[in-house]
Amino acid sequence: MPDTLFSLYSTLQTVVLERQDDTRFILLTESTPWFCDLLPKACVARETLVLQGISPFLDNFFFDANEVWSDQNAEPLCSGPWVEVNSEGMEIALQADAINQAGKCLLLIQKLGQSYEHQVNILQAARQNLLTREHLEAEIHKRTEQIRLREEEIAMRLLAASGVRDEETGAHVRRIGMYSAAIADSLGWDQLNIDEIRVAAPMHDIGKIGIPDNILLKPAKLTSEEYSIMQGHAEIGANMLDGSDIPLLIMARDIAYCHHERWDGRGYPRGLAGSDIPESARIVAIADVYDALVHQRIYKPAFPEAHAIELMTNQSGSYFDPDIFSVFIELLPEIRRIREEIRENAYSGTPDDHYPYVL
Amino acid sequence: MIQKKICMVGTFAVGKTSLVRRYVSSLFSEKYLTTVGVKIDKKTLTVDNEEVMLMLWDLAGEDEFCEIRPSYVRGSSGYLLVCDGTRKMSFEDAICLHGKISGILGDIPFVMAINKHDLKDDWALSDSDVQKLKAQGWQVVLTSAKTGEGVEQAFKLLAEQIMKQNNTPQREYS
Ligand SMILES: Nc1nc2c(ncn2[C@@H]2O[C@H](COP(=O)(O)OP(=O)(O)OP(=O)(O)O)[C@@H](O)[C@H]2O)c(=O)[nH]1
Ligand SMILES: [Mg+2]
Repeated sequence: MPDTLFSLYSTLQTVVLERQDDTRFILLTESTPWFCDLLPKACVARETLVLQGISPFLDNFFFDANEVWSDQNAEPLCSGPWVEVNSEGMEIALQADAINQAGKCLLLIQKLGQSYEHQVNILQAARQNLLTREHLEAEIHKRTEQIRLREEEIAMRLLAASGVRDEETGAHVRRIGMYSAAIADSLGWDQLNIDEIRVAAPMHDIGKIGIPDNILLKPAKLTSEEYSIMQGHAEIGANMLDGSDIPLLIMARDIAYCHHERWDGRGYPRGLAGSDIPESARIVAIADVYDALVHQRIYKPAFPEAHAIELMTNQSGSYFDPDIFSVFIELLPEIRRIREEIRENAYSGTPDDHYPYVL
Repeated sequence: MIQKKICMVGTFAVGKTSLVRRYVSSLFSEKYLTTVGVKIDKKTLTVDNEEVMLMLWDLAGEDEFCEIRPSYVRGSSGYLLVCDGTRKMSFEDAICLHGKISGILGDIPFVMAINKHDLKDDWALSDSDVQKLKAQGWQVVLTSAKTGEGVEQAFKLLAEQIMKQNNTPQREYS
């Protein structure tokens, strides 16, 4: 190799070796201290060296390099950077290239300098940035969740304060919220709205605060006059929640107002039909009826789920939105899980929940 | 002595380098220095009265800037899948990376290390996240490269699995 080239490689912190056979290489350039550090002992130019076993990384690289060397037309192959620790315990970054040149199989090993450090700095900065962004997003998520939990707690406390019934603030309404959120999720709602229905659905019966106790708590079947007073809870609830700009309360109003509407238009209070009924209310109607059927009430035992589903299936397309009902049926394993998770103690239920009569 | 190649796999900044450093040198640093390229460390341990030298390949974390090269993981007998318990995203990335790596290496032993368990106040994973993986038969260890919690255990579990598996396609450096 000409002297100028010899010193050029030295300046470039590169050693060039020519492959002799599977294990042996001749060092074509001058040796360097960092290269000698890789070897069991110091070496000099023109020396034949065995490189296998000196570095697990290089051993692995030779697998692919051998393919390059066995095909004179193959493209050069670069190992990518790797880090070795030298005899002084310092980390040095190296890179190897397998090249075919004028019928010779060459191995170049380069000590990476400034360009590598530059690359490290850029990557470091980019990853730090990503980390900061991730942390900020996580923080926003955490704060939003806190706000959501506060909203939920305020809603539950208001429900409790309204004194509708103990159980309205308990397991039943929490389950309605969870079932509704699960259905909304399956329907492809975005996370914000899913969280909202989880909190808004429990308020569906808030209007019962305006129904006299003798009707609300009557353990027997209501007269038709009493029943029509009872039906007023939907409108009372809607009025209580009306006129707000807060999306959660707007949704809660829709649900309170429309959760007794029926898909076929024969529900109350307005006799809305089909997609005129807000989707949130169509979801809650299914969740509410299911929960009432599978739990014990003062006027009925808990129905086996299969029986409840049979009753409800008969009402799909008349009482319930058939598409949402199909989604609900597919979700039954998840719905059961929620039921298991939020168990109730005793629940009396009010006559409005006499769904077997309603259905 | 038997030598086995193990890869550290996980997205950036989850603590791959820190876990290796804690395991090999009992050291930890708060400073983040991203790994560019590959660094290989060694550690010997005894499994069932047999000495094994683990060759720990610390790979650059995969992200939008870097992809794991199949040639780097070739010959691995197992891998430690690392995520950061304070970053939910890194957990999902780890599951996704497991899919990629097993696509390259096939069904070989691995252990999931959910790292930074010392940062409990910032923990972003729920019990059910972890339970779901365990239900699929994954070995999951909560680790902290900072305190040393679970670190020996994670590598030991992996080494034991590797030694149990005698029909793994593997390359030995001995
Ligand atoms: N508190 C805490 N910090 C840790 C732990 N493990 C790592 N860290 C910190 O997390 C940051 C990233 O750690 P690294 O070990 O460099 O992560 P890496 O996965 O190797 O990152 P890349 O090389 O970029 O892929 C550093 O600031 C570490 O100090 C841990 O268990 N607890
Ligand atoms: Mg690293």
